[in-house]
Amino acid sequence: MSRMPVGVVGGGPFGRALAVAAARNGRSVLLWSRRAPAAPAPGIVVTDDASALERAELVLVAVPSPHIASIAAMLSRWLDGRHLLVHASRGLEGDGLRPLSHVLRERTAVRRVGVLAGPIVAAALEAGAPLGGIVGTLFGEVEEAVRAAIGGPTLRLYATRDVVGVEVAAAMVGLLSLAAGFCRGIGVGPGSLAVLLSRGMAEARRIGQALGAEARTFEGLAGHGDLLAAVAGDERPEVRLGRALARGLPLAEAVREAGAHIEGVSIARRVQRFAARAGLEAPVSATIADVIDGSLGPEGAIARLMARPAGLE
Amino acid sequence: MRLVFPPAGLRLPRLRPYLPRPDDPAIFGLDLERKDILQEVVRRVMARCEARPGGLEYALNEVAFHESERLASGDARPEERAELPRWRALLHRVGRMDETERRATLRELASRMADDVAGRFDPRVYRFAVGVLPHLVGRLSRSEDEDGGTTRALDRLDALVQVEGPIDRLRVIARHATLVLVPTHSSHLDSIVLGYALHRHGLPPVAYGAGKNLFTHPLLSFFMHNLGAYRVDRRIRATLYKDVLKTYAGVLVERGYGSLFFPGGTRSRSGCVETRLKLGLAGAAVEAAARNALARRARSVVFVPATINYALVLEAETLIDDWLRERGKARYIIEDDETGRVERWVAFFRKLVNFSAACIVRFGEPLDAWGNAVDDEGRSVSPDGRRIDPVGYLTSSGRAAHEPARDVGYTQQLGELLPARYLRDTVVTSTQLVAHVLYRRLVRSTPGVDVFGRIRYRGDVSVPRAELLADLGATRERLGELEARGRVRRSRLVATLPVEVLLERATSLWSGYHTRVAARDRGTEIVVEDPPLLLYYQNRLAPFAEALADEANLPAAREIAAAGARP
Repeated sequence: MSRMPVGVVGGGPFGRALAVAAARNGRSVLLWSRRAPAAPAPGIVVTDDASALERAELVLVAVPSPHIASIAAMLSRWLDGRHLLVHASRGLEGDGLRPLSHVLRERTAVRRVGVLAGPIVAAALEAGAPLGGIVGTLFGEVEEAVRAAIGGPTLRLYATRDVVGVEVAAAMVGLLSLAAGFCRGIGVGPGSLAVLLSRGMAEARRIGQALGAEARTFEGLAGHGDLLAAVAGDERPEVRLGRALARGLPLAEAVREAGAHIEGVSIARRVQRFAARAGLEAPVSATIADVIDGSLGPEGAIARLMARPAGLE
Repeated sequence: MRLVFPPAGLRLPRLRPYLPRPDDPAIFGLDLERKDILQEVVRRVMARCEARPGGLEYALNEVAFHESERLASGDARPEERAELPRWRALLHRVGRMDETERRATLRELASRMADDVAGRFDPRVYRFAVGVLPHLVGRLSRSEDEDGGTTRALDRLDALVQVEGPIDRLRVIARHATLVLVPTHSSHLDSIVLGYALHRHGLPPVAYGAGKNLFTHPLLSFFMHNLGAYRVDRRIRATLYKDVLKTYAGVLVERGYGSLFFPGGTRSRSGCVETRLKLGLAGAAVEAAARNALARRARSVVFVPATINYALVLEAETLIDDWLRERGKARYIIEDDETGRVERWVAFFRKLVNFSAACIVRFGEPLDAWGNAVDDEGRSVSPDGRRIDPVGYLTSSGRAAHEPARDVGYTQQLGELLPARYLRDTVVTSTQLVAHVLYRRLVRSTPGVDVFGRIRYRGDVSVPRAELLADLGATRERLGELEARGRVRRSRLVATLPVEVLLERATSLWSGYHTRVAARDRGTEIVVEDPPLLLYYQNRLAPFAEALADEANLPAAREIAAAGARP
C-alpha cells in the first residue's frame, strides 16, 4: 500500500472535509488552498505552494467549476502520468456542457482522472457520519486510491466506468436540488414535488445520453440516490439557495445566504440551450433558469410545468 | 485438424527474403521477420488463454461454437461450408480432450489464423506500385497529352491528391518514432491514397488491416498482400480470431512498423466525420506504446490523426443507401459495392483526372498514446511544455507494470480525443459546401418531414440560381470565419473560386460518375434531384451547420446538426 500523501486542492468546506476524511484514515494530507487557512485536523499540512502536490499520487480537486481550468493549468506544472486526479464538482463547462474530467485531461498531463459524487455533503463527511458515494473513472487504480484515501467504515464508495454519466448526473441533481428547495419554500406538496423531480431526472438522463452517458447511472447513487438525500433534507447549499429564492430574495442575496458557490445558477440556462440544439426537451431546466433570473415567479413556474401535455412516460 | 482458408495471396518468386538496408523503413523487413512475428503472436495468444483456469477449453469451445454457427448460416461461402463438420466435431470433442491435446489444438488454430491474417512486404512490388500508379491514373485520363512521361504523370497525380499538414515535422519524427496513422475513413480508396501520400512525401509505408472481401479481387489482392496489408475477416466473431488479429497488429507496431488504423472501424456510412470511435484494432497500438515504454525501447509510438477529404467519393451511393437502410434497422456488411467492380474504378478516375484537388489528405498534429503532444523526437510533452516520462502512465503505487485493463481506459480516452482533431482538420471541398447549401434549402422547404420522407423529394425542390449563389457566398464567408478561428479548414478552391465556378465544379463532378444525379443545373434554377447523395456530401458540414447559417437558415441548420450528432 502506498504511503504517499493525499493531495487536496481547494480550501472550501468540501475540500476541508475531504482532507479531514483522509487524515482520519491515517493518511498524511497536503491541502492546497490559495488562502492557506489553518489546518482543520492533525496530519493535514496546508500549503499555497502547488509544487508540494508532486509528491502525492492521488489529488482530489474540490474547487468551483469556473476555476477548474485555471487550477488545472497551475497543477499541470507539477503533475504528470504518475498522478491520479479526481474532482468533486457539480459543474459542466461551457455551452457544450463539457465534463470537467475532460478539462482536467486537456489542461494537465494526467490521464487517470475521475469524479467523486453522490449524497456526500461536507459537514457529514467531516463529522464522519455514515455515508455513501460513487467514483466515476475508467481506471481501477483511481477507484482504489479514492477508497484508500477517504473510504472506510463510515464512507462506502461504489464505482462506475460511466464517468460522463456521473458528471452529468451530479450537475443535474444540483439543479434539481435547487428546484426542490424552491418548491418546498413556496409550499408545493410532496406529490407535486415528486412529479417535478421525476420528470427532472428523466430530463437529466436525456441530456446525459446525448453526451454519451448510460441511462442506468441516473438511477444510482449519482442520480436518484443523490436527489433523495436533498429531498430528505441534507441541507446542502443548493436547497438553501432554492428556499431563499422562494422567499423572493434577489439572486445575489440568495446566493450569499446559501453560503457556497452553486453551479446550478449558471448551468440551468446552458442546459436549456444545449437541449434546444440537440433537439431534446428540457422544460424543467428551462423553468428553473427563468426562476433563477427572476423572469418567472412561483405561480408562473408551476402553471407552466402543469400546462405541458402529458403522454407516455 | 485442417481448416481451409482462401488461398494466400500470390507472391513474386524470391530465393531468399529481402535483406533490409539500414535506411529502409522497418516494414521492408517484414518477410524476413514474418515467422518470428507469427511465433510471438501465437505465444502471446496462448499465454492469455492459459492464464485463466479452464481458459483453453473455453477458447476452443468459443471458436468452435462461433465458427459452426457462422458456417451453418447463410452468409458463408460454399468452400468454407465444407469445414462445418470439422468445427462441429471439435465442439463435441473439446470436453473429452486432456489439457495437452487442447493446448496443441488451440496452438494449431491460432497459428493458422495468424498465418491467414499476416501480410507480406515485397520492396519490389512497393517500388513498382509507387512507380506505376501515376501512369495508371494518367492512362485513365481522356486528355490528349497522355504520353507526358513520369514527371507529367506525377504532376497530374499531385494536382489530384493534395497533401497538407505538418509533413516536414512528421518526417523528422519518423526517424525517431513509429508512426501510427489514425485517419477518418470514408472510402476503400483511403488506404491507397494514404499510401501514395506517404510515399510522395518521404514518409515510411504502413501496414494495415483490410477487409477480407477486398482480397477477392486478384489484382487488388496481389498488391495489398505484398504491401503489408493483413487480412481482416469481419465475419469471424470468435475471440480467438480477434485476439490473434489484435496481437498481430500490436506486435507490428512494437517492432517499429509504421501502421494505419481506421479508428472508426468501417467507412462512414453517413458521410459524417466519425464522432464516436470504436478504436478496435487501434487499441493494439496503445498497448504497443505501453510495452515499448516499459521496455525502455528508444522508439516511441506516435499517433498521427488525418482527414481524407474527397470532392467525389467512389462508394457514396452505396454508403448512404446503407446508412438509410440501417436507420430502418438492417445493418449488414457491404460485400459488394463499387470497390469490387473495376469498371466503376475506371469511371471514377476518368471523372477525376480532369479535376484538381479531388482529394485532400490533411495530416494533423501528432500525439502519443495518452493524448499528449510530442516533440520532434517523438517524446511525450505535457501541456506546459515539459518532456514527460510515459512510464508514469503505467505506474501505480510506485510500481510500473503492464496492465491491459488500463490500456482499455487509455484507448477509450484516445477515442474521445480524435473526433475533435478530425473536425479541426476537416478540409471542406466544393461538393460538400454546395451539397450543404442545397440540402439546407430542401430541409427549409420541407418542414416537419423526417429524413426518410425527405429522400422522396426527387426533383420537387428547386432554388433560383441567384438565390443559391447568394446563399453559397454567405455560407462560404461564414466558413471562412470558422477557419480563421481554427475550427475547420477550407480547400484552396473553396476559399478562392467565384461561387458560380464552385457550383459548376460541384455539379459537373457529380454528373457522369454517380449513377444518380445529385442536383441538376437548369440555368435559371438548380433542382434537388437526389436527396440521399446531397445528404451524404453535406454531412461533413453537419457539425458546423449552425455556425454556417444565417437567421433564415437557422432552424434547418439545427435540424441538420441534430441529425448529424447521432450518425
